[in-house]
Amino acid sequence: MNRFFLLFPILFPFIGALIVRNLKTEDTRKRNTLYEAVVVLSAACVWALILNRPSEPLTFYSFTDYFSITLRLDGFGSFFSGMSSTLWVFAMIYAFSYMADEERAKEFLCYYVMTFGVTMGICFAGNMITMFVFYEMLTLITIPLVVHEYNHESMYAGRKYALFSFGGSAFAFIGVVVLGVFAGGTTFKLGGYAATISQISRDLLYLIYVLTFMGFGVKSCVFPLHSWLPTASVAPTPVTALLHAVAVVKAGIFAIIRLTYYCFGASFLLGSWAQKVVQVIVMFTVVYAAVKAVKERHFKRRLAYSTVSNLSYILIGVTLMTEAGMAAGLCHMLFHAIIKISAFYCAGAVLKKTGREYIWELDGIGKVMPVTFACFTASALSLTGIPLFAGFVSKWQLCTAALSTGTPLGYAGVAVLIVSSFLCALYMINIVIRAFFPKRERDHFLRHPRSDAPAAMLVPVCLFSAVNIFFGLYGQPVVDLATNIARGLF
Amino acid sequence: MSALLFILIFFPMLAAGVSFVIGRFGKTARSVFAAAVCAAMLAVSLILFISGRDLSVSVSGVLTGGLSLTLDGFRRLYILVISFAWTVAAVFSLQYFAEHYRSRNRYYSFFLLTLGAVMGVFLASDLMTSFVFFEIASFTSFVWVIHDQTEESITAAKTYLYIAVIGGLVLFMGLLLLWRTLGTLRIDGLREAAQSLSDRRPLYPAGICILIGFGAKAGIFPLHIWLPKAHPVAPAPASALLSGILTKVGIFGVVALSAGAFYGDVKWGVLLLVLGVITMALGGVMALFSVNLKRTIACSSVSQIGFIAVGIASASILGEHNSLAVTGTVLHMLNHSLFKLSLFTAAGVVYMNLHKLDLNDVRGFGRGKPLLFAAFLIGALGIGGIPLFSGYISKTLLHEGLLECAEFVSAGWIKCAEWLFLFSGGCTLAYMTKLFVVLFIEKHPERQTEFDAMRPCVNGASAAVIAISSAAILVLGVPSIAIRLASGAVGFLGGTKAGTAEFFSFEALKGAAICIVIAAVLYFALIRKATYRNGRYVDIIPSWMDLENSVYKPLINALTVIGEVFGRVVSGSADFVALAMRRSVLSSTVGHILSGATDTAAYMMRRTVLSSSVGRILSGSTDLAAYSARRSLLSPTAIRVVSRTTDQETFDSRDQQFKTSRIRKMHAGSVFTDALGHLLDRITHSQRFVLYFAKVRRLTYEMLRRISESFSFALIMTCIGVCVLLVYLLLK
Repeated sequence: MNRFFLLFPILFPFIGALIVRNLKTEDTRKRNTLYEAVVVLSAACVWALILNRPSEPLTFYSFTDYFSITLRLDGFGSFFSGMSSTLWVFAMIYAFSYMADEERAKEFLCYYVMTFGVTMGICFAGNMITMFVFYEMLTLITIPLVVHEYNHESMYAGRKYALFSFGGSAFAFIGVVVLGVFAGGTTFKLGGYAATISQISRDLLYLIYVLTFMGFGVKSCVFPLHSWLPTASVAPTPVTALLHAVAVVKAGIFAIIRLTYYCFGASFLLGSWAQKVVQVIVMFTVVYAAVKAVKERHFKRRLAYSTVSNLSYILIGVTLMTEAGMAAGLCHMLFHAIIKISAFYCAGAVLKKTGREYIWELDGIGKVMPVTFACFTASALSLTGIPLFAGFVSKWQLCTAALSTGTPLGYAGVAVLIVSSFLCALYMINIVIRAFFPKRERDHFLRHPRSDAPAAMLVPVCLFSAVNIFFGLYGQPVVDLATNIARGLF
Repeated sequence: MSALLFILIFFPMLAAGVSFVIGRFGKTARSVFAAAVCAAMLAVSLILFISGRDLSVSVSGVLTGGLSLTLDGFRRLYILVISFAWTVAAVFSLQYFAEHYRSRNRYYSFFLLTLGAVMGVFLASDLMTSFVFFEIASFTSFVWVIHDQTEESITAAKTYLYIAVIGGLVLFMGLLLLWRTLGTLRIDGLREAAQSLSDRRPLYPAGICILIGFGAKAGIFPLHIWLPKAHPVAPAPASALLSGILTKVGIFGVVALSAGAFYGDVKWGVLLLVLGVITMALGGVMALFSVNLKRTIACSSVSQIGFIAVGIASASILGEHNSLAVTGTVLHMLNHSLFKLSLFTAAGVVYMNLHKLDLNDVRGFGRGKPLLFAAFLIGALGIGGIPLFSGYISKTLLHEGLLECAEFVSAGWIKCAEWLFLFSGGCTLAYMTKLFVVLFIEKHPERQTEFDAMRPCVNGASAAVIAISSAAILVLGVPSIAIRLASGAVGFLGGTKAGTAEFFSFEALKGAAICIVIAAVLYFALIRKATYRNGRYVDIIPSWMDLENSVYKPLINALTVIGEVFGRVVSGSADFVALAMRRSVLSSTVGHILSGATDTAAYMMRRTVLSSSVGRILSGSTDLAAYSARRSLLSPTAIRVVSRTTDQETFDSRDQQFKTSRIRKMHAGSVFTDALGHLLDRITHSQRFVLYFAKVRRLTYEMLRRISESFSFALIMTCIGVCVLLVYLLLK
């Protein structure tokens, strides 16, 4: 396709969302349809681009010889953009239903659609500086979504999110500048180019890598920069599900993978102290967040901690600095997206339907909302890594990748994954037990008629669960795709 | 034909869904459907068993590691046992669940799902496939345990689940390590791969992980804790399957590993032997003290699993000479499956009628009920290892296998193990005697007549399956049949041929006799004396002697607490620094102090240098000076005096000057003009004119000031300037 089509999925959501928001109609249905149409059109364009990738990059503007705003679609960008755009289409349906009786739904959806454009910008960025620009835009555009409720808690969450993100960007900027200046450009190239830098010492480069890693680590919730995410779980469920489990947090992961594999280069970092540092941080995050999730009593916050833990699963793969590690990380990136979005949707459905947000209030709810909780069970088992579910496939990939490095930290990574899987069973399956097997005397819903969530909420959830099981049974295509991306063959 | 293997696994799983749908319309139809599915499975298994064909099939790409299934002698035998057990349980469930039970639809769905999963475990030809179905079986059988949803069953089910999850994860880790070490997970390729290994050390961590995983499911010490809790709380048909079959799922994995990667490995064998002996003895002792019917049988399962583990360990130690040990192991697995099926079904009959399981409450229930009596007696004699019954054959073989190990391991240890073996055998007999006496000999103090009236206690179908399973035990008691059955199966356990012993030689009978003596001592000296007080059986084991509540749970709690505290400390340190800074450098106190200091300085200055009194004094002195000056030098009087004198002098001099000048210039005739001019002068210089001109001048000045200040004026000036400039440029 013509490379100028790359602009369409980025700009059209902005323009479309603003037009739809300012339409003089009170008909919610009509407006929602238009919003959905904007997203579907953009997503269709994304898929058309993925299947028919423009070979040439699109450069708008060059500040200097090496700082330019460039869009280019490669395999990895296709992976993330395809994943996000597809999920967005279904997330919109859920969001319409969820926001139906909320105030300012119009504005909310407007920002929600605009975020799509920014996310695509991150996917299509051809170099570090472009990605950094869109990365900052993503922070800005999602702040209104986090503070949507305009109460004290959400304002606090929004402020925390903004502070953490901007602080992180400042660190990330170090890496962008250093690469730009010393490597003569920040264009993404699989294999990286840090090894060619001779002006500054390797140790300094490693230090810069760690700083930049932690900078992007804010969005991907690396300990100790993770705490904005559980706080931000006060946002409406469409935000916590799509943005705080997929788009925003995975944009952080995306940036880290770009940094590691496409700028610095895995072979440059392999075996360095920088790798050890980030590995240790990431492993600690996995276990720590899982422990916090076990201790957490608030449903959505528990899921948020679980997200923190699982994001670091991906990073365990990424920080192995091998092709297999990156492939495993990509697998988990996709599978976790599917799993967590459906888990959050179930939590949201419960919140909407019954107003219950704490786990001890859920005894016996499985009988009342059977479909929702069947889907939740699927995601719980999948997240724990039980065979037949997608989570197992990626866990297997992560473990084999970690073991095949043969390093002590690789073995430690496997141990960490195993321990956190157990903790995951504790915090996820306990909810399932409460929902389906309540103690009789504690059954809150004993004589409650069956009343499941509305179809618009159930359809996306069921769909994601079905995909979850499908990939659990037949995950090979995803594994192959991820491996090809990691090898630069796609 | 190979597709049959898939049918064996997936047909029950599909039927589970169908039964759920049927259950929405008719309860009886659903239950009968489930029983029919099991019966169909039994028929297929029987055909496969009789045909004696080896099958294998594999599909790659699915389920991560691919799906590869195989059917050989051992598996043919065991799928027959599984489908038989399921059929018995399904038929018994018809009556057991007939009334006052809820969520039966759920029960039947998971009943059939578990059947498929267990089939999958046994048919798997690589450990990965086996693991996948192992995990499914764990989760589906969890639903059985929690079925009653009482406080007790939920606690037990959670323990079961956690052990299953931990076991599954550790197993997963072990499989990864094994795969990394050997490069294969095919069960029949393990031995070859392990023997070609130059460095065997990496094999042990992998093996231990896998042993923990499968051993947890089998109930091997120290992960047996869930078993005595979970088995009794499940519905009786499910208990029978949990004890009889689900534990064998774990054993299957341990066998695959021991006969594969650790074939002929003495160190591994000793490890397993120690664990097996502890399990065996511990389970027996626990069963002796238990006062709950089903719990006693469950503890007995732990003990019997220990016997099987001892057999596997002996086979692993003996290597090529393991024929006795493997035959004993296969037969004991088989026997144990049938014993537990029979005993739990009998316990189910008791529970179905009384809804009680405490030994004191069920006393005398079996009196006058011949079928129950026969079934229980056959089961008890079988499991107790009484000659002529099946347990005797398997235990004798296990015993002889154990003795053969003395060749490889120091004889003292083997002697010790042997005595514990006999002791456990004695325990088995003792607790079975206890149960038998309770059910069939003793009388209930109050309700005996009521119990006697409960006849028939089972319906026809249940009676038939109870009779059939008891008959199976009797058939296995014939040595030639048993050995023949085992001979096809020993290959899987690493044996080349089935071994046999002189079952009625003095040596063999001596073992049984020792067991009986030990049992008699235990029963009369311990059970009747220590646990039977005031006409009641009491549990004399203190509650703290519970591995789960006193060791594992505190350990896990401590670990999570440590983890959380550590995390809090680390993540809190950043907060702490910020807080410390706010409290110190940036604190309001410091700010207060700093700004206070300025305030103080200002205050002090105001109080001292700038104080009002000083000021007053200072200004007062000035005032005073001024005052005194005014009073003295500048006083009006003085001024007046001074000015008057000055005025006088000026006037005098001016007047003098004027007079002289005028008089000097003036002519006499112009005096009149002078006077007129003087007059005009007076008029024009009058005060009014002066004032008028001053006013005009002030207004003009004000106007000009305003203009000069106003913007428009500036603009006009600019315009003028520009015009001037233009003109200048044009002219130039």
